[in-house]
Amino acid sequence: MTMNQTPIQGYAPTPVTARMENHGSSMLKVALQTGHDVFARSGSMVAYEGYVQYDPNPPAVRQMASQWITGEGLPLMRCHGDGLLYLADYGADVVCLQLNGDSLSVNGTNILAFDSHLQWGVERVKGMAKFAGQGLFNVGISGTGWVALTSRGAPIVVDCGRGEDETYVDPDALVAWSSNLRMKGKRSFKASSLIGRGSGEAYQLGFSGEGFVVVQPSEDSTDRLRARG
Amino acid sequence: MAREFQRGHKAKISDLTAGTDLYVGVQIAGPGLTFDISCFGLDAQERLSDDRYFVFFNQPQSPEGAIQQLGAQAGDTESFRVTLDRIPAQVRKLSFTATVDGAGQMSQIGPGHLRIVAGGEEVARYSFTGTEFSTERAVMLGDFYLKDVWRFAAVGQGFDGGLEALLRNFGGEVLEEEPETPAFQAPPEPATAAPAFAPPAQSGPPPAFAARRPRAPAGRPGTGTRLPGAAGPRARLPGPGTGPPGLPAPPGSTPPPAAPPQMHVAPTLAAPIAPPGYFTDQAPPAGGQVPPPPGPPGVPGRPASYGAQQPGPYGHPDRQQPYGQPPQAPPQAPQPYGQPFPGQPAPSYGQPVAAHGAAGVRAGLEKYREVPTGQRWTPQNPKLIRVDLGVDQQPVLARQGSMVLYQGKVDFGYKGAGFAGRIIGNATGQEMQLMRCTGRGQVFLAENSAHVHPIELQGDALCVSAESVLAFDESLQHEVRRIEGHGIPGGALFTMQFQGHGTVVVKTHGTPVVLPVTPTTFADSNAVVAWSAGAQVIVSSQVRLRRSSYPGHSGEAVNLQFRGAPGNFVVVQPYEV
Repeated sequence: MTMNQTPIQGYAPTPVTARMENHGSSMLKVALQTGHDVFARSGSMVAYEGYVQYDPNPPAVRQMASQWITGEGLPLMRCHGDGLLYLADYGADVVCLQLNGDSLSVNGTNILAFDSHLQWGVERVKGMAKFAGQGLFNVGISGTGWVALTSRGAPIVVDCGRGEDETYVDPDALVAWSSNLRMKGKRSFKASSLIGRGSGEAYQLGFSGEGFVVVQPSEDSTDRLRARG
Repeated sequence: MAREFQRGHKAKISDLTAGTDLYVGVQIAGPGLTFDISCFGLDAQERLSDDRYFVFFNQPQSPEGAIQQLGAQAGDTESFRVTLDRIPAQVRKLSFTATVDGAGQMSQIGPGHLRIVAGGEEVARYSFTGTEFSTERAVMLGDFYLKDVWRFAAVGQGFDGGLEALLRNFGGEVLEEEPETPAFQAPPEPATAAPAFAPPAQSGPPPAFAARRPRAPAGRPGTGTRLPGAAGPRARLPGPGTGPPGLPAPPGSTPPPAAPPQMHVAPTLAAPIAPPGYFTDQAPPAGGQVPPPPGPPGVPGRPASYGAQQPGPYGHPDRQQPYGQPPQAPPQAPQPYGQPFPGQPAPSYGQPVAAHGAAGVRAGLEKYREVPTGQRWTPQNPKLIRVDLGVDQQPVLARQGSMVLYQGKVDFGYKGAGFAGRIIGNATGQEMQLMRCTGRGQVFLAENSAHVHPIELQGDALCVSAESVLAFDESLQHEVRRIEGHGIPGGALFTMQFQGHGTVVVKTHGTPVVLPVTPTTFADSNAVVAWSAGAQVIVSSQVRLRRSSYPGHSGEAVNLQFRGAPGNFVVVQPYEV
């Protein structure tokens, strides 16, 4: 009856050491407790253990999210109860961050989960309006608690404010940035060179100030979880 | 395939490998921390009865040489060579430990590992991160112990008191008289001092390892192409399993395998663990029914609740607090989650965690931090590369759309549709367009999470499939070549030939294989990435490797045959475009 489980034993859950932590590079494990709910991307749950309930249409999100979506499903669900929740986004790398009074802006498609008690809101970024129609939105998150991000490939963190030069990022590769950075859009190519091109590097976001920018090694910003419907 | 160990796992060495000549590598690092990694040879009472079996930087090998310290290797902060069958009978256990030297604690360390390599193959790996520890200053990482046969155990046990506690554990008062002890604790720079104590030595293979570091000057007479990690006579791409067959084994019997692509070369720091009182730091959640329990397990008034709850994981009908019920007795609050897992050691929540005060986004992101070096081309991780245009002041040509970030004053221009700027390929009319990056600053390049490999040419020539070119120095001469053949999509395969001095960045989907060119070397035209220009390409219509046919597919692939003098190589990716 018993199967030889030796080859897969190494993948058993490790003891919980934090509210949110990685299980492997691309799975998130959340230790959920009553009274400490989590907002997670709808459709990101891959497994759970214990007594966990999902509220796919939480009022708080509905209010916030009205700015960035126009239709049916909300991008976030509220998870509550006691248990272990495993989340993933189609194999994207997961990065767990503990905010300690920090504030962070995150590209909406790169959010996996965050503590519901954090202050958060949808941000309109000047210069990003161009992308609004493509479902790109930003969420500003601040307070003290945990946030989990996804990144296609291991991300890289770059400090801004190194010298006077600004840091320019391809919007498709942008994952998150410190909220206090100043931001502006920039076209770095001459108009003449745009002819015959698709959406390449025509448009960048420039960041300046003290802080950091997180980028992923991929320009694939497709929202797979949304695409699933 | 290395077997992954978790804390507490044990296995017979004989189940891992038939060999007894083992390489043990330890990687442990943290920002600003230095570590002393030592091996204690203990007797049956787990005492260090013979201090000659305390192998550390001041005593790099045991008397008969069964345990040797090899020093830092690629991918490992410290390494040992252990010859199990030469270990004297009174030594029953080898304990590998790491101690923080100077200030610091174990929670600050980044991802690390202890791995066992035998016969050139990694057979076991125990990975750990700082989140498993708290204020400890020393940690027992793993043990080899003799119980009928030699076995390995992943321990991961920290010691609050640091070195003292560790020494006491291994023999108490005896050790306190040891001359090594003060030396061990003494100056804050043993890491720099260590090389003097531990000569790169012995019969171990350090030189071969050292050459694996990206861009280490692996002097290769003959041809001039260098790939990072090139250690052998032929250029190789980094990554396990890419060595060409017939690569002579480095001297010494236990070379580690090609280190897995090093994700983060910089010292890393993992996110600190959830501090106790984490939940008390903030306002109660809306709805405010329950004052939050202070920290997951350490509920005041119920300090012993752990043990008591241990047998009652959720799912048991007789548990005391069903999850679904609102918690009674608010101060004692809901059952702290995450603890009562059967068969798992309870994490040490109750201990003070000093790191939490400094926790924050920065700490969590530390391990993804940009790699600082003054080099022109610097891989940031396997999928992202940075070019510093300020070095050499040379423009770079990069595939359009591959820039993810740049800093500084960089101008992007389109390479004119002249000589090689535009390649019209493929039946679909897809184009490869390049952009010219000039100015002063750093440009980060990546594309679609593909692995990137900088290949430095030193007067050599290299052909790269046009689809696999990510970027290259403008100083390289480059020209477009067409390989025609029936069955190739679009009628021809476009390649770019590079020659001169500079770097080409090649991207591959997945870990590539580098094959030496032999009289019978074939590659699928869709999977081939690059080859040394000395190899002659023949479109092979005679040889057809049948792929599994399915409706709509003819079942035949176009193969390229390569011919050339020994020393030429072909790079193939596990992905067919």
